[in-house]
Order: sequence, then structure tokens, then C-alpha cells
Amino acid sequence: MSFNRRSFLKFSGAGLAAAVAPQLAFAKAGKPHVVVVGAGYGGATCAKYLRMWDPNIQVTLIEPNAQFYSCPMSNWVIGGMRSMDDIIKSYANLPGYGIKMVQDTAVGVDANKRVVTTGKGKKISYDRLVLSPGVEFMTDQIEGFDEGEAAGKVLHAWKAGPQTLSLRKQLEAMPDGGVFVIGSPPPPGRCVSGPYERASLVAQYFKRNKPKSKIIMLDGHFDVVSKGPMFKAAWKKFYPGIIEHRPYNLVTKVDHNSMIVTSEFEDVKADVINIVPKQRAGAICAAAGVRTDSAGVWCPVNGVTYESPTVPFVHILGDSVASNMPKSAHVSNNQAKICAAALVEMFNGREPNPYPVIGSTSYSATSDETSGPIAVVMRYDPDKEAYIRQPGGGAADVSDELNFAYNLSWFENIWADTFG
Amino acid sequence: MTTKYLFACAAGTALILSALPSLATDAPLVAAKSKPCLIAGWEQSAHTCVIHTKTIAATCFICHGPNGKSTGAVPSLAGQDKEYLAAAMRDFKSGKRDSTVMKKYALGYSDSEYDDLAAFFAAIK
Ligand SMILES: Cc1cc2nc3c(=O)[nH]c(=O)nc-3n(C[C@H](O)[C@H](O)[C@H](O)COP(=O)(O)OP(=O)(O)OC[C@H]3O[C@@H](n4cnc5c(N)ncnc54)[C@H](O)[C@@H]3O)c2cc1C
Repeated sequence: MSFNRRSFLKFSGAGLAAAVAPQLAFAKAGKPHVVVVGAGYGGATCAKYLRMWDPNIQVTLIEPNAQFYSCPMSNWVIGGMRSMDDIIKSYANLPGYGIKMVQDTAVGVDANKRVVTTGKGKKISYDRLVLSPGVEFMTDQIEGFDEGEAAGKVLHAWKAGPQTLSLRKQLEAMPDGGVFVIGSPPPPGRCVSGPYERASLVAQYFKRNKPKSKIIMLDGHFDVVSKGPMFKAAWKKFYPGIIEHRPYNLVTKVDHNSMIVTSEFEDVKADVINIVPKQRAGAICAAAGVRTDSAGVWCPVNGVTYESPTVPFVHILGDSVASNMPKSAHVSNNQAKICAAALVEMFNGREPNPYPVIGSTSYSATSDETSGPIAVVMRYDPDKEAYIRQPGGGAADVSDELNFAYNLSWFENIWADTFG
Repeated sequence: MTTKYLFACAAGTALILSALPSLATDAPLVAAKSKPCLIAGWEQSAHTCVIHTKTIAATCFICHGPNGKSTGAVPSLAGQDKEYLAAAMRDFKSGKRDSTVMKKYALGYSDSEYDDLAAFFAAIK
């Protein structure tokens, strides 16, 4: 038996005939066209690897921003360890791979005609559509959030960019003895360890510059759920008395006039407010009809091709995917390569590799010289239709200098791999 | 058929991509690996095995740099000795060699995947 055919039939969303036959016809006629939405960790990587692995494929990459603001390292800016320039990544290299960049926002998808509509009114047809738009915030779940955000007093800074800088400035302007409140949502969401890294690096800034100040974390989680022992050890050792972590404390309301943050249990008076709302797949996923998990929040995918099981020819990557995989830049980049490899196979009339493997490594800094990793390998099991965590994965219990060097190295290499 | 296709494809790739920064093409690897392999206990064609290796290798790129060429403290894999790389994975797995994350990775891959990945990176100039 040369192939686990029973499983293949299950993962071919559009059915093998439908998936491969038109591509074959197309391949003969000319070059297949993939439209990628979003030039972040998922989208830029997918566009680049499609072109590198099969230059016969034409790739259009739609992205409204002229440059990319990286969330990875953005906590370092908020903690004062790096500047905004360090997290801005240029798209200048991508056209060199033969990627056609379109500076615009995708606003609509006609999945039957296979056409994407943009904010500027362009219509772009595709053979395959790849959506990697990141997350959208469900701010309506927190009373007063929208008003507070509009007034510039309530920030999420959970998409890197202007809010990253605003949060940094507010922390700099805060008087010594002030209270910084961080609210974080329960999983699943973008970068579960991110709020704890943020608390650590702001605590370091307070310790050195405003030692009477406090951080109160109102956490929708039951505990420090990612790298818990490592963060708790670092907080105790480096920042005693500065960070107060309050679990089971989902933020429900915020009043930017009185600067009171309200959780399920208490009211907290804050000087600087940073609330990360619950998230869902980017709006374009709803427009394409692929935000179809039971809560209508994330996008289920076929684990081999990353195609939607309900809308053929539409693939989803990154944070928007409904799965047990961490929502990280590392995983988004990795999914993008699996999707690109599968598309190359399908466009060439072959079956994709039925056993993809995801490696997930994430570093968090606890100070300006210590970090720690979590790592796990996940292998796709076509019979279970799921990625299965392999034994032995997990987080380090302590952060240290060696891992800080590796953390820095990780940034440089993933940026080179995604945008370089 | 698979091998023939890939040679044809690789030749085309070389022409089109000559001006582009390009990764290793599949042809030499398929040629070197004329036998089928096992993935997750299922026998796969040489072509699928090569795609599998190439895709996992691209996972390594995230930490070890594009094409295994790191610009940071994490070591480069490109051009390293094949036996050395495969042995390193086995030693990470057994714990004979200390690591921060590599033991966790080694436990997630098979021995034959170590060998195929080692060959992939050793072949990069
Ligand atoms: C504070 C913080 C720290 C983090 N640190 C790490 C870390 O150390 N390591 C790690 O692995 N991960 C980290 N992450 C997580 C990581 O940022 C995300 O998981 C990753 O960015 C997801 O990739 P993506 O492709 O899904 O989305 P993104 O990278 O956000 O890219 C989405 C892109 O799509 C564009 N877009 C959206 N909608 C449209 C549209 N309709 N049309 C066109 N373009 C559109 C956006 O402008 C954006 O450029 C961190 C996150 C945060 C918030």
C-alpha cells in the first residue's frame, strides 16, 4: 500500500477530482493564481514559499499597510528595551520573489465565482485563496471599551502599531506609585504567554524607574497558563511586590473617565489601562463564509491543505484557524509552509503529503537578559483529523541568559524567513 | 515518473529562478532517495518523502534561519556534516547531549526523519 487513501479522501475538502482536475486543466492552460490576504507571519510566508517552491504559480498578496509591525518583540518596546523602529519590517524584498503586492484591504469574497473584492473596488480572481488576516477584537464584550479606546485611554496593543507606542508613552507619563492594569482574556487567543511577558517587562521598567508602582493583572485564565512556573519564579526573584496576578478575573467593563476597570469580581482603579479583548478570526474570514466553528469565531481547516471544509478553494492560516495549535507567529509561519507545499502538489496534479508536522517554539522574555522557551512537535493524524502533540514537549521552568540569546536569534531568523 | 517530472521541473526552476534567491530544488534529493519511505507507519513514494523532508526542514528554518543559515546565536545547519547532524538529533533525544528545546523536537521526529533532514541540510552549500 503506497498511500493511506482512505484518509486522503477525508482530507480533500473539495474532493480530489474537484480539487485537482481544474488545476490540471489550468496548469496546462497557463499559470495558476493564488491570492493571499494579509502580509503577516502566515500570509507573507505562504506567498514567498509558493514562489520559491513552484515559480509557475502566480501570487498576489493583498495588504493595506506599507510596512509590517511585528507583535513579537512589541512587548520589548512597551517595556522600554527596544524602539518602534526595531519592530517595523519592510515588505521591500517580497516583490523580488515574483510576488505581486497590492496595497489594499480585501473586503469581500465571491466563493462561487472565485473573486476577491478590495476596499478600493478592485476585483481579483483566484484559483486558490489564502486568508491570513490575524485576529479581530470582540470589543462589544467589554462595556465601555470602544469609548475608552476612542478616547485613547483604553488600549489593547495586541496588534503592534500605534497602540504599542501609545502604551509605552502612557507608562512613561505615569507617576511613580501608579497602577498599571492588564486585562487578558481566556484562551484561545493570540499569544497566550504574551500578557505575562508584557507584565514582566513593564515590571522591570517600574523597578528601575518607578519603584512604588504596581501591576495588577486581571486574568480571564485560571492561572498563569503558559510558562507558569517560569514566570512566577521570575516575578518572585526579579520583581517582588510589583506584579499581582489575579486569576479567574475576566474584565467585563471599563470606564475611562473614572479609570475604573471592572471584572467579574472587583473594581480596580488604574492609572494606565491595557485590556486585551477576546478575539475571533479576521473579518474577511466572515465575508468568505469560513468562520464556521461552533461559536462562529474561528475557521476550521483541513489539516493537510488548510482548506476550509465548507468553502472550497479557500484556505486559512495563522491565528484565524480553529485548532489546538498555539496562535503564534512561529505556528503561522509553519502552517503557511504546509499549505504552500500542499498547493504546489495539487496544482501539479499530485496528492499532498498526508502527514504534515508542525513545530512550535515560543520564547518569552522575563527581563532584558533572561528568556525561556516552550516547545512542542505536533503531527497530523489523518484518521483522527487532528494534530497530535508528541510526548516530551513543554516549557522551561526557569528563564536564563542563554535563552535570551536564542530569543533574539529567533526574531532575526523568523523575520528573515518571512520577510527577507 | 516522479523522478523524471522533478528533473524537468528543476531544470525549469533553475532557468526561471536564476535571478531570484532560491532554495534547494527537490531533484537531487529525489534522485538520492530512490526508495519509498515510511511516514507514520505508512509507506510513501520517494516523491512524498522528499516533500515531507523539505517541509519539515522549512520548519527548522524558523529558528535556524532560512535555508538553515542562521544570523543569530542559534547554530546554522546548512552545509554541516550529515552524520554529525543525525547523531546530534539522536543524542538530544537520549539526553546524552544537553539542549534547551532540541530534546523536545527530537522526541517528535523519527530516526529516518533525522537522517533525511541531516541529508537535506548537509547538501546546502
Ligand atoms: C504582544 C505580542 C507578542 C507576541 N510575541 C510572539 C512571539 O514572541 N512569538 C510568536 O511566535 N508569536 C508571538 N505573538 C503572536 C503573533 O503575533 C501572531 O500569532 C501572528 O502575528 C499571527 O500571524 P497571522 O498571519 O495570523 O496574522 P498577522 O501576523 O497579524 O498578519 C495579518 C496581516 O493581515 C493584514 N490584514 C488583515 N485583514 C486584512 C484584509 N481584509 N485585507 C488585507 N490584509 C489584511 C494585516 O494588516 C496584517 O498585516 C505575539 C503577539 C502579541 C500580541
